[in-house]
Amino acid sequence: MALVHKLLNGTYILSKCLKPSVASCPFLSTRFADYCSSSLQKPVATPGKASAQRNSAGGLQGDHQREVALDVTSPEEKPEVSFDKAIRDEIKEHFWRLKDEIVNHWIGPEGRPLQEVIMEQARVVWQFRGKEDLDKWIVTSDKTIGGRSEVFLKMGKNNQSALLYGTLSSAAPQDGENSQSGYCAMISRVPRGAFDRKKSYDWSQFNTLYLRVRGDGRPWMVNIREDTDFIQKSNQMYSYFMFTRGGPYWQEVKVTAQIPFSKFFFSNQGRIRDAQFQLLLDKISSIGFTLADKVDGPFFLEIDFIGVFADPAHTEEFAYENSPVLNPRLFK
Amino acid sequence: MRDYGVERDLAVYNLLLDVFPKEVFLPRNVFQKIFIHYPRQQECGLAVLEQMESHGVMPNKETEFLLLQIFGRKSYPMLKFVRMKLWFTRFKNVNPFPVPRDLPTDPVDLATLGLRRIEPDLSAKVTIYQMASSRDSTGTADPTEQHIVGIQSPGQQAALARHSPARPVFVEGPFSLWLRDKCVYYHILRADLEPPEEREVEEIPEEWNLYYPMQLDLKYGRSAWDDYEFDIDEVEEGPVFAICMAGAHDQATLAKWIQGLQETNPALAQIPVIFRLTASTGELLASSSGLEEPCPPPAQEEEEEEDKTQRQQQGQS
Repeated sequence: MALVHKLLNGTYILSKCLKPSVASCPFLSTRFADYCSSSLQKPVATPGKASAQRNSAGGLQGDHQREVALDVTSPEEKPEVSFDKAIRDEIKEHFWRLKDEIVNHWIGPEGRPLQEVIMEQARVVWQFRGKEDLDKWIVTSDKTIGGRSEVFLKMGKNNQSALLYGTLSSAAPQDGENSQSGYCAMISRVPRGAFDRKKSYDWSQFNTLYLRVRGDGRPWMVNIREDTDFIQKSNQMYSYFMFTRGGPYWQEVKVTAQIPFSKFFFSNQGRIRDAQFQLLLDKISSIGFTLADKVDGPFFLEIDFIGVFADPAHTEEFAYENSPVLNPRLFK
Repeated sequence: MRDYGVERDLAVYNLLLDVFPKEVFLPRNVFQKIFIHYPRQQECGLAVLEQMESHGVMPNKETEFLLLQIFGRKSYPMLKFVRMKLWFTRFKNVNPFPVPRDLPTDPVDLATLGLRRIEPDLSAKVTIYQMASSRDSTGTADPTEQHIVGIQSPGQQAALARHSPARPVFVEGPFSLWLRDKCVYYHILRADLEPPEEREVEEIPEEWNLYYPMQLDLKYGRSAWDDYEFDIDEVEEGPVFAICMAGAHDQATLAKWIQGLQETNPALAQIPVIFRLTASTGELLASSSGLEEPCPPPAQEEEEEEDKTQRQQQGQS
């Protein structure tokens, strides 16, 4: 199962805190525990490396998967180690999901009745009310390229918001390749269906992104990636700025950032492209927040929820026009 | 360039570009035009422009003329210049909460700027309770007095006056606020949310305003397609009564702030104030480990000290 999964998805790396019992976390092959800490900090994902296995099933897996030493101690109980049981659990889980999908298809798109989906004007896409909501996000920083920023994600007070905090350090790694450094990012996981197929979000009836956040005055960047199987498109994303105001207010004056989707500009591999086109909303795969403002120091961002809604007052389709100086081919 | 402090000076960048020899790197025939002519030099020019971009310096006509003379119209530095001109003008005013480029160096001015930014109510008043001074103050161990600047809006004053003395208010902090590249810390005075039983709805009597009704209970026929509310419970938090920025984060300084607040809010004298000072990661302490501070005059009994969790956060830039 793990081998098949690897073939399907290449190196898709996730990290998660190790849960002590196998039965509660059946996704063996999709979860790679780097290390576990007692306070529920999200470990930093390391892309591009081969998978690290849970220690229980590690020794029994195929030999082309590297084992990583884990310093996991669960003093209360030893985890129930059974490779076959884990595989069976996972297969059952996937078939359950498949059955859900087929049944939902009869009810309506995404399992909700068609009338509700058509009429809805505002949808909450991500909310942070429990630990399982945090699992939908990956947190990265420039540690992957050798920098020194740290970033952690945890539930805020009263389990009513998520707090992304850490320290940014723009000291460039001395590896001869990177001249600048210093970024932290929180990216949502790609939604998965049965058998870990990639699913995408369809926001074509909405036109504004709504974020209820509380920050500390730093400028963040919101990135949206489209769902695509083309390799050439895998580095493309649409971004825009999110300026936080700072301050304790959340309730009275909501520091909401309402960003219409027309304002997202297109970039490839981190560079803004000359040929701009509007963000098409029918296949969105993930959204992310990045902080890279070249100022060293601690930061935090508290997020209440992220939603999309259809602003009837916003009629702009796309905010940026192409210029004939940069793109003579478009204007022939 | 940061060592000399001129990284945002356009004239310096133009002088740097002036160093390049003119008209040597221009491509002369079609073959030179196809291949990148003098690639290392173009990369060098690109590096200068990149530094300009990362510091947010907008190039001007002189830069354009220099680049034309040095590299020619179709070169990469020229292309980057065109892109900078385009995208910088597009994103110049994109910040809805702009911070001025030249931040005041005086901490009191900085605190005022920060507080005005945090508090959206324009009728709020900024009060300077104490100016920073390096003179020896009587009786305190450390010789410098830290500045204390506070802000409170009339609505908050009214809310504090209405607050019942049976429930304590908390001084929480320090929270960090970044103004471009300076970090200041602020504390807030807030109360917990009242449980729903105790929440009283203020009834405005009908005779209060004879010109138009204060309360309208109209139900326009809004059906499902007009529903723009999000299907989520809002995070409810207690009201904030005042915010302050102080030079030091210890309890003595904050106590002075509370004393200063009492002059405008006499009700504060009756309300117990608990200090919850943490090493800030931006979250508020859930546990109530704080020192109950006996407020000066009247009627505050000293309770036993609980352990104070107070850690200063280093790295204040």
